Amino acid sequence: MSANKNFDAIVIGAGIVGASSALALTNAGLRVLVLDRGAVASGTTGAGEGNILVSDKEPGPELTLALRSRDLWFELREDVGDSFELEAKGGVVVSRGDDRQLQEFADKQRFAGVDVRVVGDEELHELEPHLTRGVNSGILYPQDAQCQPMLAAAQFLKIVRQRGGEVRTSANVTNIFSAMGKVTGIETSVGKFSTPIVVNATGTWAGDIAKLAGTFLPIAPRKGFILVTAPMPQIINHKVYDSDYVANVASGEADLQTSTVVEGTRSGTILIGASRERIGFDGSMNIDVLRRLAAQATSLFPILRDVQLLRAYRGFRPYAPDHLPVIGEDSLISGLWHSAGHEGAGIGLAPGSARLIADQIIGAEPFMDPTPFSPGRFQAGAA
Amino acid sequence: MIAIIGAGPAGLAAAVTAAKKGEKVILIDSSTRLGGQYWRHLPSNWKQKRLPYFAEAQELFDQVLSSPLITWYSNAHVWQAEKKNEIFYLYVVKNGVEEVITAQKVILATGAYDRSLPFPGWTGPGVMTPGAAQAMLKTHGVLVGKKIVIAGTGPFLLPVATGLASAGAEIVALLEANKQWRWVFNVHGLLLNPSKIREGVYYLKKLRSLGISIQYGSTVTSFEAGIATIGKKEIACDVVAVGWGFVPELSLAGILGAKLSVQKDGTVVVDVDRNQETSIQGLFAAGESTGIGGSVLAIAEGEIAAGKGNRVTRWRAQVFAKGLQRVYPVSSGWLSSLNSEVTLCRCEEVKVSDIQSAIDELGAQDGRSAKLLTRAGMGLCQGRVCGRNVSEVVACHLSREVPDRERIASASRPLAGPISLGELGDGLGKKF
Repeated sequence: MSANKNFDAIVIGAGIVGASSALALTNAGLRVLVLDRGAVASGTTGAGEGNILVSDKEPGPELTLALRSRDLWFELREDVGDSFELEAKGGVVVSRGDDRQLQEFADKQRFAGVDVRVVGDEELHELEPHLTRGVNSGILYPQDAQCQPMLAAAQFLKIVRQRGGEVRTSANVTNIFSAMGKVTGIETSVGKFSTPIVVNATGTWAGDIAKLAGTFLPIAPRKGFILVTAPMPQIINHKVYDSDYVANVASGEADLQTSTVVEGTRSGTILIGASRERIGFDGSMNIDVLRRLAAQATSLFPILRDVQLLRAYRGFRPYAPDHLPVIGEDSLISGLWHSAGHEGAGIGLAPGSARLIADQIIGAEPFMDPTPFSPGRFQAGAA
Repeated sequence: MIAIIGAGPAGLAAAVTAAKKGEKVILIDSSTRLGGQYWRHLPSNWKQKRLPYFAEAQELFDQVLSSPLITWYSNAHVWQAEKKNEIFYLYVVKNGVEEVITAQKVILATGAYDRSLPFPGWTGPGVMTPGAAQAMLKTHGVLVGKKIVIAGTGPFLLPVATGLASAGAEIVALLEANKQWRWVFNVHGLLLNPSKIREGVYYLKKLRSLGISIQYGSTVTSFEAGIATIGKKEIACDVVAVGWGFVPELSLAGILGAKLSVQKDGTVVVDVDRNQETSIQGLFAAGESTGIGGSVLAIAEGEIAAGKGNRVTRWRAQVFAKGLQRVYPVSSGWLSSLNSEVTLCRCEEVKVSDIQSAIDELGAQDGRSAKLLTRAGMGLCQGRVCGRNVSEVVACHLSREVPDRERIASASRPLAGPISLGELGDGLGKKF
C-alpha cells in the first residue's frame, strides 16, 4: 500500500470520545492522527448537555467506569487547563410519589462507592429554592458534574496537536485496510495513511465504520431533544432530575419517553431534557415532545413558566442493544479498536473509555476489567 | 381556509385578493396594528402631507377591516408550524395562550429586518438601525436623539432622514456608502417604474428643503463617546443610525421545509415559482422573504400568491429590485474596519478575536463550529443579527467564500417566535 503518512494510531471521530482517546494515546507517547468527516464536535457531542453523571447508573461495570472517568475529567483539567467549563455542580434526584425505590437504588450506589446523600424537605429546598413544594425529599449526588463538551473536545485536540499529533477535519474515511486480520492503514478523501492501530470513535455512525473494516457493530441512534431557555440569573443550582429519568435511561423501549432534567449553565441559559426515541436519523421537530418537556420542567420549577424558550435542538445518542458502551479491540480484526455506543453518557464516560483503550494498547494493566465492554459480545458468528 | 402570516404590504394584498375571490382568510400578525414594518402606521395627517405611498395602504386597511371573510388575528405570532396530511398546522401564541390554526393554504408574508454590520463602537449606546430609529418615532413618538448621523446604504435611508428631521432632529450627516453614479445600473428599472422616479424626486426635494445633503461613498467607521468617525473627519452626535439593507425573515419557511436559496449578494431567500408557491405544495411566499424588493413588488406578489395578480407589475418591480441590488451593494469593506476587539455577537459578547482563536487554535472551520465553540449567535436574537456576519468573518479569516449551505443554515432556526415554557407546557388552549 502506498501511504503518504505513517501514524502510530489513527482515531476516527473528533467528538468527545475521539478527542479523549487521541489525548490519552498522545500522552502515552503515540503519534496520533485524528480524522473527522465534519468539523470538531459536529456530531452528538455538539448536541449534548455536557453531563458527567454517576447518579443515573446502577452498580455494575458502567458505574465503575463512570466513577473513574469522573475523576479523570478533573485530572484532565489539570493537564489541559481550565478551558472547558468543568464544574462539579452536583445532581439532585427528586421523586414525587413513593421514594422507597429511589432510596434503595441510592443505597446500592453508596455500596458501590458513590457519594450519596439523602436530603429531607428543608435541606432540599435550601439546595433548590425554586423547586416545587410538591416535592419533599431527594438524593444529592455531589459527584455529578458538567462541562461544555464542544469546548472540551476542541481543547483536547488542541493539546494533541501541540504534542505532535495531527487533526484533519472534513476528511471522510472511505476504506480501512487490513492484512491477515490486522489493520494496516486507512483510505480517506484527503489521502491514505498507514497505521497499525485504528480507533473507531464515531459514535452513532460506528456501525458504518465497522462495516468498512469488514466487521460488525450494532450501534443505532436514539433521538433526544433539549430545550434551551433565554439566559437569566442563576436560579437552579444543581442538575435536577425526576426519578423517572433513571428508569428511562435504563429502558429499552422504542417509543417516546420523557423525564425531566433541568439545569442552569454558565452562560445563564437553562437546559431541559431529556427525551428518548428510537426512530432512526429522523431530524424533524416533534412539537409534542417539546410540550411534554416544558410541562415536566415547569411542574418541577414553577418559576420557569414565564421563561422564554430560546431554541430546541436534537441529537442522536449512539446506543448498543444491551446499553453498555463498546470499548475494546475488535474480535475479528486486530488493531481495530472501538469506543462507541455510550448512549447519553458519552461526555461523562469519554476519558475513562479513552484510558481503558490506551492502557490496553500500550500493554499496561487496565484500571478495570474491560470484558463487559468487549465488542466481541456482538461479533460471535457475525463474520 | 387560507392562513396569511404577516400584515405588511404583501400580506394585506394577499388577504384582500383572496377575500375578493370569496375565500376565507385568517391574517395573523404580531402587531396590534395593520401595516407591518413598512406601513408601521400612518401619521394622522398623511393626506395633507401627500406622502407618496400611503394612499394604497389606507385602501388595503379599509378593505381588510370591512371584509366579512377576513379574520384579522392581531397580537399573535406563529412560533412553530408543520404540514401533516396536506394540512398546515400553525402553532400560534396569543395573549399567553397557545393555539393551533389549520389551513389548506398558507401564504408567508413575513417581511425582513434591518441588516447590521459591526464596527468599532457599534454595541455602545446611541447606535441603532434606521428601522429602529423610525419605529421609535412612529410607534412611540420618541425621537431617539437630537443630533443624528444616518449611514449605511439603500433608499430606505432617505425616508428615515426626512422623518427624523421633520420631527425635529438635526441630521448632522446622511451618508450613503455607494456612489450616486451607480444608478446607471438601474436605468431600465427606473424607466419601467416611473413612480419610483417621482418617489426619489420627492425625497430629494424634501431633503433639500430640510437642509440635508447626502454624502456619497462614505460611512461611519467608528463611534466612541459621542464622536462618529467618518473617513478622516470626526463628528459629534448622540445617535448613529446605520443600516445595510435588509435580511429576509425565513424562519417559518425553513421550519416548513421550503427550499431556500442564496442570491448573488449573499442574501438568503425562499424559492418560489411563477405563482409564488414554494417547493412545499400549498405553501406560498410573497414580499421580502422572496427577495428584498419594496412594497410595490410585495403587493404584486401578495396578489399573485392569493390567486389573482398582475404579473407585468411584478415583473417591472422585479427588474427595479434587481437593479437596486446593483446600485446599493454591501461591499466587504466592513471587514477591513474590524479590529480584533470589535464585538461580533452582542448577545453573547463574542469578539472578532474569539472567532479567530476558535479557528486558529480550536479547529473551527465554518460558521457552525465557530458558533458552537464561542457561543456567537446563541443568545437572545439567535443569530438574526450576527449569524451572517460571523460566517463572513470566519470565511474571511480562512480566505474563502461562505458556502451557500452555511448561509442557508444560518437563515434557518428551529423556532419562528418566542413562547414561554408555561405556554408551551399548557398545550393547546383552543383550535380554529
